[in-house]
Amino acid sequence: MKHLQTYIISTALILAAILPLHAQEQQTEPVMPGETPKPTKYVAVEEAKEHLVFFQGFTLSADVYAPVAYMVSDYGAAEGALRLNLKNTFFPIIEAGYGKCSKEDFNTKVSYKVNAPYGRVGIDINMLKDKFQSNRLYLGARYGLCMFNYDIAGPAQTDPIWGGSEAFNMKGLSSTSHWAELVFGVEVRIFKNFHMGWSVRYKREISSTKNDRAKPNCIPGYGYTTNDICWGGTYSLIFDLNWGMKKSHKRGGNINLQDIPQKEVNQQETNDNDNGDGTEEGNDDEGQGDDEEDSEAESV
Amino acid sequence: MVLLLMGCYSNNCPLENTVTCNYGFYDSQGTDITYADTITVTTLMPGYKTVYTYRKLGNTTVTKEEQDSALIHQGYTETISEQRNDTILVNKLFNASSMKIPMSYFHDEDTLVFSYQRISLKDTIKIQHTSYPNVELPECGTYRFHTLQSIKHTDAAIDHIEISEPKVNYDGATNIKIYFNGVVE
Repeated sequence: MKHLQTYIISTALILAAILPLHAQEQQTEPVMPGETPKPTKYVAVEEAKEHLVFFQGFTLSADVYAPVAYMVSDYGAAEGALRLNLKNTFFPIIEAGYGKCSKEDFNTKVSYKVNAPYGRVGIDINMLKDKFQSNRLYLGARYGLCMFNYDIAGPAQTDPIWGGSEAFNMKGLSSTSHWAELVFGVEVRIFKNFHMGWSVRYKREISSTKNDRAKPNCIPGYGYTTNDICWGGTYSLIFDLNWGMKKSHKRGGNINLQDIPQKEVNQQETNDNDNGDGTEEGNDDEGQGDDEEDSEAESV
Repeated sequence: MVLLLMGCYSNNCPLENTVTCNYGFYDSQGTDITYADTITVTTLMPGYKTVYTYRKLGNTTVTKEEQDSALIHQGYTETISEQRNDTILVNKLFNASSMKIPMSYFHDEDTLVFSYQRISLKDTIKIQHTSYPNVELPECGTYRFHTLQSIKHTDAAIDHIEISEPKVNYDGATNIKIYFNGVVE
């Protein structure tokens, strides 16, 4: 069963790694020598940044990895997330789920069961330089919390010297766990507002209430406590809800000059007339400071 | 990546898989010593057992826990008696500076009898404790941990005893320090 789990996980991760690369290839068409570049819409990136509204909508997502994990292993969860989009750069996020673990060791016959809700809060930061493209590569952090009760049962304990036997069955042991996560993730637009993405998470327990009798072996939302640290991951279906946003301000949309205040457009035209070569300052780092771009800007 | 994810599932069971109470030996001044005498530790268990003793003039006395009719046919005289249950926990420990002795799972008090080779007197130690089950990880199995509460002892060869670590588990710490009579020069 573990081999099947390993196969599914590795296939999903490989596919997830390939998808964004394919999407990025489609976006760039190389220009052959001697060929005139096709006219493209000029986006005054710096101006667009200035006019990018602070609140860019929010995102709902569901993790499909955790339920599949439960089907092929002892631990899994049902998990969803609500994420805000601030300037296409900062993404405060709330994740909530219901985790379940039920296992019995083949050799020792000791069983462990836990079912409990959990939550995480944190933030993702889009690390791509171009904040307007639909794909994202982000780093993030989470704080996780779970309050849960767990059961442990096993064969009766028998004293080999003095004799006697006692059933081994502990139910309702309670614990509260706090943990931190570092997140690295990729997100790709598949169709309109529908996205897919994966993340890898480095998790570390901050604290857990200890019980003299039994340590929690698995914490919903965190995973196994066999080691001090744990690795996890998600594969998410993501839906952008850009309710109330202007089309030009939606993710991946271009800024029209009509949306830029007239005062600034006039100022821009003045600058164009002053600079005979038409080069616009501040756009050099975007690699778009050519004459063609200024002429393109007029045609937008 | 998969290896990293699978890292969460590695076995992390304790190296020591038995829970014993660890004793350290010291002289009366607190210097750790190697005790030169031979020590045998037996424990008294609750209840009694029937013992059959067979004697014949000119032969060694034979003691058995079950009746042996063959010895009677050989001319042995059988004596039936009731004795307390006892079990040897440490047999003829020599030149040791420490020892490990298991504790009872379901009794509040363990009685240990220390027998020495050089002196005919014996020491009796009574250890009050509580016990509780413990699971570190399901794959590691279950254990029985103990918490020492108090110790009483006689003073044939023992000067005094102290509890140094009341929690008895598989960590290997010295739980009880036995200070024998005399001082190492």
